[in-house]
Amino acid sequence: MEETTGTDLFTVPIGPQHPALKEPSHFRITVDGEIVTDATVRLGYAHRGIEKAAEARNWVRNLYLFERVCGICSHIHATAYALGVERLAGVEAPPRAQAIRVLVAELERIHSHLLWLGVAAHEAGFDTLFMYSWRDREAIMDVLEGLTGNRVNYSANVLGGVKCDVDDAQRDAILKALDMLEGRSHHYLDVVTTDALFLQRTRGIGTMTRNQAEVMGAVGPTARASGVPRDVRLDAPYAAYARYPVMRVVETAGDLEARFVVRIRELFESYRLIRYLLDNLPAGEIRGRMPRRVPQGETISRVEAPRGELFYFLKSNGTDTPERVKVRTPTIYNLTSVVKLVVGHQLADVPMILAGIDPCFSCNDRTVRLEETNGRTHHWTWDQLRRYSLEVEHGRSL
Amino acid sequence: MMPTEKAIEIGRELAERWTFHLETRQPEPNRLDVLLTSPDDLVPFAVALRVQRIGYLTAVTGLDPGPESGMLELLYHFCQGAAVITLRLQVPRQGAVIPTLSMIIPSAESSEREIAEMFGVTFDGLRAAGHLYLPDEWPDATYPLRKDWSPPVPAGATTAED
Repeated sequence: MEETTGTDLFTVPIGPQHPALKEPSHFRITVDGEIVTDATVRLGYAHRGIEKAAEARNWVRNLYLFERVCGICSHIHATAYALGVERLAGVEAPPRAQAIRVLVAELERIHSHLLWLGVAAHEAGFDTLFMYSWRDREAIMDVLEGLTGNRVNYSANVLGGVKCDVDDAQRDAILKALDMLEGRSHHYLDVVTTDALFLQRTRGIGTMTRNQAEVMGAVGPTARASGVPRDVRLDAPYAAYARYPVMRVVETAGDLEARFVVRIRELFESYRLIRYLLDNLPAGEIRGRMPRRVPQGETISRVEAPRGELFYFLKSNGTDTPERVKVRTPTIYNLTSVVKLVVGHQLADVPMILAGIDPCFSCNDRTVRLEETNGRTHHWTWDQLRRYSLEVEHGRSL
Repeated sequence: MMPTEKAIEIGRELAERWTFHLETRQPEPNRLDVLLTSPDDLVPFAVALRVQRIGYLTAVTGLDPGPESGMLELLYHFCQGAAVITLRLQVPRQGAVIPTLSMIIPSAESSEREIAEMFGVTFDGLRAAGHLYLPDEWPDATYPLRKDWSPPVPAGATTAED
């Protein structure tokens, strides 16, 4: 701690590495005793220059690059990018592909919200809830792995459609997981709205009024917990959301408790939508033809990520490489709001308020481990993996 | 909530009745581009959108048309339902100073800090200075999202085309 003025104000630096905040960002919090009087944020510890890198890669390779912006909501980034590129190219993915995009997006929302529930409970010192919610989240991770082959970067999208179809066995596995999770979610909603000790950390804490949320540009569940009815899935339906509409989930209290309630209620909405979608999947192809070169033009692609509105601006110069891709993730605007929100709170409430917006941090990835039928395992190199993927894709050996 | 077409219509009307008529384009049915002729129009037009209750600032995009153009372009995207109203402002490549929107739209601060360090545009009145994303030791007057900047490739590294 360092003294900043002649009075009793101190500045507490938190991060980029800190046990109370498992994400690489740096906050300088000025306190008067225990009360926060100012806060600033410094980002960039996980900045990888992806927007610049995109200008040196072709449209197809960029799909996999943008999927790696986020390790939690990877699918929604790829979806936003793919929808934008398809619009520029004048290609529309078949209805079945659009429905599968929505299916994976909602599965991803379930896994993201359950992950957040655990993190937020942990910040409140409620580690039992953290462990239960993460145990349950494994059911969704298994479903996603069964559906796409991957737990984190699913690569469900290709330009012009999707990679994976849904068969009856996968459908049954998804429905079974949802039945289990629905019961558990009722229990979690009960816990976060009735547990007296937990409510001391959430009720009336970090309150953001509707006006504040609108002025500060909050998005997603953070905004909806303050009564701002913004949801891109309804405001500007993309993929198959016009055909499979969701119900808007809005709470008005604006405090941390409301942010828990909004996200858990959104879980029920996702369970409902997935069940309906699996019963009403359109038949047909799952991908269309996509040109290598994309005609000149600009477009904007907006989608609802688990954390809120995700914005992509794409500009093509008519070649096979984009001229510019701009990404605005939901966390940046929610983070701005939170920095203004913590003023006046106890220092000890800061980690909970930060966790309340569900800030997005990088996930670690997995190595490729193949298990052969005789029980031996071996690792693949990058080159072997690339060759294998091309063989599968084109049915040819290189 | 205001329908998309209505938001586009109000945006167009605002631009056409502006002190000096502002040109508009509609590149897609849900989008309206307003071409600002001067940085002086930026804050009043953003206030006008707010007074008309159209949209919230969703993002600010920086564009570099290339060093030979001598220009940079800033795009302020305001969204309402499915409508996106974009204020497009061309600024000189060297020494551009434009007013900040953060006084009326607090969330603009992070976007403007990003544009400042990535494109080298100065925002007059921006409270927070210094890098937001780039490292502290990043060289001065080096703006990585400009087209004439390329990342240094470490010896032995493989490039995207390998």
